[in-house]
Amino acid sequence: MPANAAQPPFHRQALRQGHRFDASAARRPILVFEDVFKSYRPDQPVLRGMSLVIERGEFVFITGPSGSGKSTLLRLLHRTETVDNGRILFLGRDIARLTDTSVPALRRNVGVVFQDFRLVPSWTVYDNVAIALEVLGLPTRLVRTRVGEALERVGLAGRGADAARVLSGGEQQRVAVARAIVGEPALILADEPTGNLDPLLAVDVLGLFEDIHETGTTVLFATHDRSLLDIRPRRVVVLDEGKATDMPRGLAGGTHPLEEDEAWDDGGGDLDGEFDRAPYGHDEGFVDGDEQVSGLRRAV
Amino acid sequence: MLDGSNQGSPGRLGAWRAGRSDLRLHALSVFSLAVAFVCLAAALLVVTNIQAVRDRWARAGRATVYLHDGAQESDVGALTRALEETGGIARVRRVSQEDARRELLANDEAMAALPASAFPASIELAFTDQITDEELTTVALRLRSLPAVESVETYDRWTERLSTLLSGGVTAAVCLALLVLGAVVSVVGSTMRLLLQRRKIEVEVLRLVGATNEFIRRPFVLEGASQGALGSAVAVGLVGLLFLLVRGSFDAQLATLIGVAPRFLPWEMAFGMIALGGALGAATAFFSLRKLATI
Repeated sequence: MPANAAQPPFHRQALRQGHRFDASAARRPILVFEDVFKSYRPDQPVLRGMSLVIERGEFVFITGPSGSGKSTLLRLLHRTETVDNGRILFLGRDIARLTDTSVPALRRNVGVVFQDFRLVPSWTVYDNVAIALEVLGLPTRLVRTRVGEALERVGLAGRGADAARVLSGGEQQRVAVARAIVGEPALILADEPTGNLDPLLAVDVLGLFEDIHETGTTVLFATHDRSLLDIRPRRVVVLDEGKATDMPRGLAGGTHPLEEDEAWDDGGGDLDGEFDRAPYGHDEGFVDGDEQVSGLRRAV
Repeated sequence: MLDGSNQGSPGRLGAWRAGRSDLRLHALSVFSLAVAFVCLAAALLVVTNIQAVRDRWARAGRATVYLHDGAQESDVGALTRALEETGGIARVRRVSQEDARRELLANDEAMAALPASAFPASIELAFTDQITDEELTTVALRLRSLPAVESVETYDRWTERLSTLLSGGVTAAVCLALLVLGAVVSVVGSTMRLLLQRRKIEVEVLRLVGATNEFIRRPFVLEGASQGALGSAVAVGLVGLLFLLVRGSFDAQLATLIGVAPRFLPWEMAFGMIALGGALGAATAFFSLRKLATI
């Protein structure tokens, strides 16, 4: 028998040359924020030493009043902005230290959905979704199949030929979601994706993200709509005064620190008695509890 | 449900998708470039024809030996025989004063009042194609030293004048080429910046989904190249059309006057100009977007 008889006919190296297999890499958190500072003006820092760990496959609400840094946080993750200090590790890699040539690779692994959809109105639904795969240089047939699947997942099967501008707000947001998931990214960032939708559609879109999450994708859902946080008892990270307060069991598991904040959007519902007063739900390893409480009280 | 019929247009390249809605802007840009390239093409056309005339006169292959009024018939006869036996000379024709007067009056009767003595006798020489410029010069020098010969006209002064004119035309064409370069940079650069502004959302989406700088710039560079190439092609076409119209009217007269029929730009030059337009357009688009369209 020849020496190479045991080899499969198309033997391929599992790792690139020079790379050693590291079993711990698969158990790393998907995102680690380490003492992150970010400010647009020296006297007004948006993030002040924020630390946070997000594990693979989590669904996390990022919330806080307007201007608290939710969008900044997501922009840092997408490398539209870079941190002033500290580190953000995505799958163990420091995002700020990525070279310009590596940034596209990061963005292909991170799907993003915005409040304003960011679709090209003159393009068709198909084109708007397919572009996420075309940048990868995939063959047309594969692009067609995967775009069809993505549109089916968001409930827009058969609408590929429609121009994006003729769709309703909810449908446009679905197209944006399809574009975010079509590349099967490891992480989905949703920046106020329900901000332009009525409450019913907002819940509908939230359900869409939960479906995506069910398939194992990590979802960071930034919103200041309290009604959504109430509906789904999931981990919530509250941003305020540049720091993060982690509430692993959601709002039901602890008092919301910004209950009386006027900037808070209740999603059209009644604010009074919406949240129970209870101890702040901190996670070990994050911001010191007393400091956080005093900081948050200053905010309200 | 997943068939291609209701999925838009999967076969299209994303790079071209953005260019669909800007046809009017492209047309304006191509027109502006065509105007600039018309100037260059016209200058090149003039240079090409001056060069053709110079080449024609440089290969005129004839000379006129003017004789002294008092030249002896025997000297002239000996000279004629000697010339007939000289290598490189194809034909020798004696033109007397009377013959010269008659030939001139056949074309212009206004000079009929002039006496025959006003027209010098001459010997017309026709050279073979093999004779070089050096040999011609040597023959002319020897003839000038003969006592019966007053002067020798080899028509090289016309060639020199045409050469001077040609170098002036080349200089003008180079200046126009620089002007065209400026026009291309200005027009394509402005168009690209305008297109980038109009396609802000497209570029933003491309960045969002992880497109590389090259992927983002590619459609703009292709559009710059096609604008430049189209602009110069339109210019070549326009100049060609004008050339055909003018040639129909003046072809025969020009051929009689200068001995050469007017000719259009050689195809290498025409295609070279189109290629130049494309390359300039692509380079301008690339450099004007280098800082603007980045991830």
